[in-house]
Amino acid sequence: MGRRVELARIIDGCKSGDADSFAQVVDMYASRCYGYFYRLTGDRDLSDELLSELFVKLVEKIGSYKGGAFESWLFKIASNIFHDHLRGKQRRKKLLDARRAELELEPDLNEPRRSDDSGEKLDRLQTHLSRLDADTRDLIMLRFYSELSFKEIAELRSEPIGTALSKLHRGLKKLRELMEG
Amino acid sequence: MKDRESESLGELLRRFMDAPAATAAEEDIRAGEQILNAWPAPVPCDRALDELKLRMIATARRRRRSLRLLRGSLATAAAVVVVALVGLLGRGPADRPGVAFASIIPTAVWESDDIGADDFDLAYFTSEVQRIEAQMQALEEGETEVGVDNAAVEIEMELMQIVETEFWKG
Repeated sequence: MGRRVELARIIDGCKSGDADSFAQVVDMYASRCYGYFYRLTGDRDLSDELLSELFVKLVEKIGSYKGGAFESWLFKIASNIFHDHLRGKQRRKKLLDARRAELELEPDLNEPRRSDDSGEKLDRLQTHLSRLDADTRDLIMLRFYSELSFKEIAELRSEPIGTALSKLHRGLKKLRELMEG
Repeated sequence: MKDRESESLGELLRRFMDAPAATAAEEDIRAGEQILNAWPAPVPCDRALDELKLRMIATARRRRRSLRLLRGSLATAAAVVVVALVGLLGRGPADRPGVAFASIIPTAVWESDDIGADDFDLAYFTSEVQRIEAQMQALEEGETEVGVDNAAVEIEMELMQIVETEFWKG
C-alpha cells in the first residue's frame, strides 16, 4: 500500500515537472526497462538509446497517464518503442539486402546480431533467446521485467489471455530445452 | 503487479487445459522463469542514468516553454479576434456615412479602361451636338440649305442615329 502511495506521489511530481520525481522514477524502473531492451536486442548501446527514448517519452506523455497499473502503461510504451525500432531495422535490412544484391555479395548478413559486432560477450541465455521468434521473446521479457499479471499483459498486447499464456508456455519450454541441451 | 501477486498461474492454466497438462505447463513456466532469474541482464551504467535524468529535466523544461508560448499565442489570437468582432459588430447604423454619390459621366465610360475609344466617342458626340446646334439655330433663323426641304426631319434622323450607336455604353 505504502509503495503505491509513494508511486502516486512520484507520478504527480513528474506531471508537474519535478526533477527529483524524474530521478526517482528512473531509479525505480531503469534497470528493469534496460533489462527488457537488452534481452530483446542483445546490444548495450542500443539498449541505452531505447531506454533514453522511453524515459523522454515518459516525460512527454505522463500527462496522459490516468491511473491504473503504472508498469502496464510504462511497458506499453517500451514495447511500442522496441517494435518501432524493429520496423526501422527491417526497413534498413531491406535496403541493405537490395544494396547487397546490387553488389552481388554473399548473403552473410542475415544472421542475428552477435557479440562480435559490438565487441560484447553475450551470455548463453542471450544466445538462446535469439533463437526464439521476436514476438515470443517480447512476451517472455514483458512478463519477466514488467512483473505484470497475465491479464494485464494480454490487455497490453491486445490479445486473448489464453493466447498469451500458450505462447509464453511454448516459448519458455523451448528456452529451457535450449539451455539444458 | 498487484494483480500478478493475486493471480494464480495454476488456476489460470486449468481454465484452458486439463489438470495434468496445466500442472506440466506450470512447471515449464516456473522452470523457464528460474532460468531468467539465474541469468540477470546487465544494468545501465550510472553515467548513462545521470545523463538520462538531465535529458528528462531538459525535455520537461522545453515542453513547459512550448506550452507557455502556445498559450501566449492563443491569448493574443483570441484578443485579435475579439477586437475585430467588436470593430465589426459594434458599429451602429448611425456611424455609417449617409452620403450618396452620382457621376455626370456615363457609367460605361467611367468604368471603361479604353481611354482612346472613350475620347473618340466623346469628340464625335461633341462635334455632332455642335453641328445639330448650328442646324437648329439656322432653322430658327429661317436659313435652310439649298435643296433641303425637310431639314427638321433630317436632324431628327441624325439624332436617332446617334442614339442608335449607344455610344455611352462604351
